[in-house]
Formats: sequence, structure tokens, C-alpha cells
Amino acid sequence: MLSLHLDSLGKSFPGLGSPVLLVDFLAITAGERVAVTGGSGSGKSTFINVITGLERPTSGKVVWSGEDITRLSETARDRWRAEHVGLVMQDFHLFPGLSAVENVLLPARLARVADRALIARAHDLLESVGLSRPDQKIETMSRGEMQRVAIARAVLRKPGVIVADEPTASLDVEAGETVGRLLLDMAAEAKSMLIVVSHDQRLIDRLDRRITLSAGRIVADDLREEVAA
Amino acid sequence: MIRFILADLRRLWAGAAVVVLLVTLATALGVTVTLQERALRLGSARAADKFDLVIGVAGSETQLVLSSIFLQPAPLPLMPGEVLAKLSKDPRVAWVAPVGFGDSFAGYPLVGTTRALVGSTVSGFAEGRMFEKEGEALVGAAVKLPVGAEIKPMHGTAQMGGETHAGVVYQVTGKLPPTGTPWDRAILVPIQAVWHVHGLGHDHGHEEEEEQHHEGEVAASGGHDADHDDHGAVDADAPIDENFTADAPGLPAVLVKPKTIADAYKLRQEYRNGNTLAVFPGEVLTSLYATLGDAKMVLSAVAAGSQGLVAAALVLVTVTHIGQRRRQIGALRAFGAPRLSVFAIVWLELFLLVALGIGLGFLTGLAAARLIADAFTARSGIILPVGFTGEDWRMALILLGASAVLSAVPAILAYRQSPAAALRA
Ligand SMILES: Nc1ncnc2c1ncn2[C@@H]1O[C@H](COP(=O)(O)OP(=O)(O)O)[C@@H](O)[C@H]1O
Ligand SMILES: [Mg+2]
Repeated sequence: MLSLHLDSLGKSFPGLGSPVLLVDFLAITAGERVAVTGGSGSGKSTFINVITGLERPTSGKVVWSGEDITRLSETARDRWRAEHVGLVMQDFHLFPGLSAVENVLLPARLARVADRALIARAHDLLESVGLSRPDQKIETMSRGEMQRVAIARAVLRKPGVIVADEPTASLDVEAGETVGRLLLDMAAEAKSMLIVVSHDQRLIDRLDRRITLSAGRIVADDLREEVAA
Repeated sequence: MIRFILADLRRLWAGAAVVVLLVTLATALGVTVTLQERALRLGSARAADKFDLVIGVAGSETQLVLSSIFLQPAPLPLMPGEVLAKLSKDPRVAWVAPVGFGDSFAGYPLVGTTRALVGSTVSGFAEGRMFEKEGEALVGAAVKLPVGAEIKPMHGTAQMGGETHAGVVYQVTGKLPPTGTPWDRAILVPIQAVWHVHGLGHDHGHEEEEEQHHEGEVAASGGHDADHDDHGAVDADAPIDENFTADAPGLPAVLVKPKTIADAYKLRQEYRNGNTLAVFPGEVLTSLYATLGDAKMVLSAVAAGSQGLVAAALVLVTVTHIGQRRRQIGALRAFGAPRLSVFAIVWLELFLLVALGIGLGFLTGLAAARLIADAFTARSGIILPVGFTGEDWRMALILLGASAVLSAVPAILAYRQSPAAALRA
């Protein structure tokens, strides 16, 4: 169970006048399911990168359950992310030449944590995302199937938070629907926090909370009840 | 990790094959030069080591050794026969043998010599027996003539437009065991026969006329009007006389086996006196090796240059390749692969290819050197021992070490690649 605290967070890039991201304060509780929306270039991906430790903020703190990950070394942040974060990206980032199950296990194998139990879990996960051929080569799969493999990879180590950056943007409606449902199911199963960057209104509507970014600032932060009201 | 690398290589097999091929060729080039040069040195030294001292007319040391030991056809001036007689009686000499050349048959050089030389340099016969009469001949192991074959010698060589000596026929009586020297390709005949074919030594009164032996020969051999070129005849059944006296005909060279090393040095000293030239073949070879070494240095520089170019090309290709794979590699880290394993993957992937290329290069180089050596042996009779030594293994280790360092360049780039930037790209 992980909770998130952001404190006076700022991210600028050299050569850009104003910061790309500015968040004075934000708290997300454990198990919460959050949608992040905003126009293109509003800083959504930067937000994701900073809270998952892929990028270090220019200023401020990113505190996960009491631990400020901005103070970790790059290697330590990698290790922290491997343990606590399940990432799903718009472009899958699967590795051609390897099978579905090999793709699910690859990061864990490279980190030398793939024991027998984890291998069994990889097979179970593929089945629960509706893929019956774990040895199918990844390049022979449809985009929807690929994203399902990516979801299985993200939740393999039961991460405290699942982070998805536009996971359905490159899929057709039907496949997007499946992927959205799977993300919610998987988060529920592992009691993980879920943070999804999306423009997909149906997916957004199924989440608890909606944060809207504009020019790097949070311009709206609504709970679903309020939206419904 | 290995599976990931193999999957990656399988996907990029064409590029991987080109990398391996380039490394293989560059390595093979260097290896061939090294092996060939060493084999040439060893092979020629072995071919010469039966002959301790060569004495000929004052002139080129290199030419003397090339003609008398490596049997390279070249006209050598003759030295007076008395040198042979004197050496025969010298107590410091174990054996001395004249060598006379100039004729050939079917591309094989004819060498006139003595039973002493044959007996002292090879042990026994592969087939047949020693020559006993003037019209008999022995063949080296690589001469494709059976015992009993007839040999009609030709003056000079066929390529040089030589003519057949009319009426001269030798009969092969024996075949020598292989020695790995140019003598394997030689036909050995009694020196006495060579003299007679060329009209020398029939009449003991003519030894003063070596330089203008034409008149003498015509007189001595009783008029061979039809002869174009040479004027002499072999009495095939004449017994061989190997007691050389001071009035023996002139000779291009004699081979001497001194009794001790000290004797060898003294004899060498004594017969370097203006008219004659005495050399240790090893000494002449050493100076030839210096030339060979220079040639090798040039070739090695060419090989090293090509290796450098291949290395530079590889770095360029892999750095570009890593650039294109930034997303993949960054993604690995984003999804939880440790940084070090990213480094290891990129490093191993390139290193495996280069190491494979180096391995294949050594094998290809060995095969190429063997092929060249075989062709050389077929032409010259000199067996070139091609093989790896500790020096080569050291070279292989150095190359592997260098490629390990080289492979680290793209690996470090991948290691330093920010995962966020990689995902965005
Ligand atoms: N590495 C970078 N260097 C400079 N500018 C960047 C970099 N990464 C992102 N940006 C800029 O930051 C802004 C926010 O980008 P991003 O977070 O990717 O937006 P979104 O995901 O909402 O489309 C954009 O204007 C983008 O051009
Ligand atoms: Mg984005």
C-alpha cells in the first residue's frame, strides 16, 4: 500500500522560459484511482515521469509513503521503481523476438527476481488478461493484445501503484475498453493505486478522481461524486 | 539475459552477420601475415639446416645460398675444381660434396652431386637404391617419376627456352624420403655426369680452358656436329669416380660439413679470400629475414590499419544502433531492469559478435596461411610449418581485450541514457 505526497514540485527544462510542471501540493491516498487529463503539452507525461522517478524534479519533494524519492540516487530510484511501480505506456515497449511470457518476465529476469512463483504468476496473469498462448511471439500479436501483455508485465511484481500514460490512445474503441477494464481489475486485485493519463472519457468516468493539468498546473481536481453531482 | 540478446541478434541477423564478417576479415588478414611470415622463416631455416657451410665463387652470398640450397635456377660462375680436392683432404671436413646445376627435366631441377651428400643428408631410400653409374639418377620425394623412368635433361628450364641435350638419358634408380626441402623436387645425378654432359672433365688436359670450353669439348668428345648448344656425352655405364683431384672441372658450389663448430668458423674464414666465398646459410637467411621482417611490417601495418578501420566502423555503427534503440533500452530500465544489466546486455551483444569474428578470423587466417603454404610447397618443395604459437594466443587475448573495451563504448552510452528521455523519443 503506497500513498503519494507532492510538495512544491517544479520541473523546468533548460531553454524553456516557464516551468513545465508546478504543483504546490498534492496528496493521493493508497488504493485511490486517479485520472490525469489535459491538453497536449500540458505536462501530463512530465508529471508521470517525475512521480515515478524516471525524471528528477527541478525542485520539491515526491514522497511515497514517507520516502522522498527525489533524494535517491539514480540506481536506487530504478530499484525503487522496479519494486513499487507498474508502468503501462502508450507504445507498449515490448520486445520483438521474445514471446508474450518472456516479455512479461524480462525486467524481473534482468533484475534477477524471477523465481518459480513469479514465472507461474506471469502465466496466470496472461490468462487473466485473456491471452491463452503465452509462447506466442510478440510481433505476431494485435495492438490490443500487446497492451494486455504490457499490463501483465506492469502488475507482475504486485506494485503499490500502477501508472498508465495514455494506455488506450493507440487502440480501437473495443480494445481500449478491454484495456481500461483490465487496468481497473488488476489495480483492484493488487489493491494498487492507479494513475491513468487519458482522454478516454469512458475510462475517466470509471475512476475515483480526475486531475486536470494546464500549462503544468493543476487547474481542476474533482472527485467522481462531484462530477456526478 | 542471454535469451534476450539472442532474440535481439536473431532479429538483426543481417547486421550482426556483417559485423562478424568484417571482424573476421580484418583479423584473418593480420593472422595470415603473421603465420605466413613465421612459417617462411621456420621452413627456410629447416631447409637450410642440413647444410652447414656453402662455398662458391666470390659474389652474392644470397645468390649462392638461393641456388645451392634452395635450388633456384640462376647462372652461377664456376670456381676451380682444386677447391673441391683441397677440401676433400682437409682433416676438419666430415664430408664435402660438389653441386652442379643448370639442367632440368619436366620442371624439376637436375642437381649433380655425390653419394656422400645423399648418404649424409637422408637416411635410406623410400624406394630403389643409390646411383652407382654415370647414367643413373635419384629423384626427390616430390618428383612424380617412378623408379626406372628415363630422364632426358634439358639445358636450363623449359620456360627459359632450353633445349634437350641430345643423346643424354638417365635412368631413375631410387627415390628419396621426403625432407621438406627444395631437394624433394630435385633429380640428383652424379656430378661426373653433369660435367660430361657439358663436355667437361673428359680430358684432364683441358681444365685450364673452363671459360672457353667449347673448343676443348669438341676435341675431347670427338665431334658432335648436330649439337646446338652443349657438347658432351654421358657414358651411362661408366662407374662413378668420387675421388676428386685438383684437376676436377669447375663447380658452381660445394657443400661442406665441418667436423666441429670451431672448424666451421675456421673454414669459413679461410675460404673467404677474394676468389671464393664461404657462407653459413643461416647467416644469409638471417639477413633475408630482415628483409622479410620489413615486408611483414608493411603488411602488418596494412592489417592493423584495416583492423583500426573496422573498429572505428563498428563503434560508429553500434553508437548509431544504440541511438536508434534508445527507446528500447530506456524502456528496459523504466520497467524495472537494473542499470547494470542494460550495460551488460549492450556490452555482451557487441562483444559476442566481435569475439566470434576474432575466433573465425583466426581460423580463416590459419586456413589461408595453410593454403598459401601448400601452394608454396608445391612450387618450391620447402615445407612451411604453419601453426599457432603462444605469441598468437597472446595476440588473440589482446584483440579480445581491445574489443571488450570497444564494446564498452556503446554500453556506457546505454548506461547513461536517461529512461525518461528514451521513452519520449
Ligand atoms: N526533455 C525535454 N526538454 C524540453 N522540453 C520538454 C522536454 N520534455 C517535455 N518537454 C516539454 O514539456 C511540455 C510538457 O510535455 P509533456 O509532459 O510530454 O506533455 P503531455 O504529456 O501533456 O503532452 C511540452 O511543452 C514539452 O515540449
Ligand atoms: Mg504525453
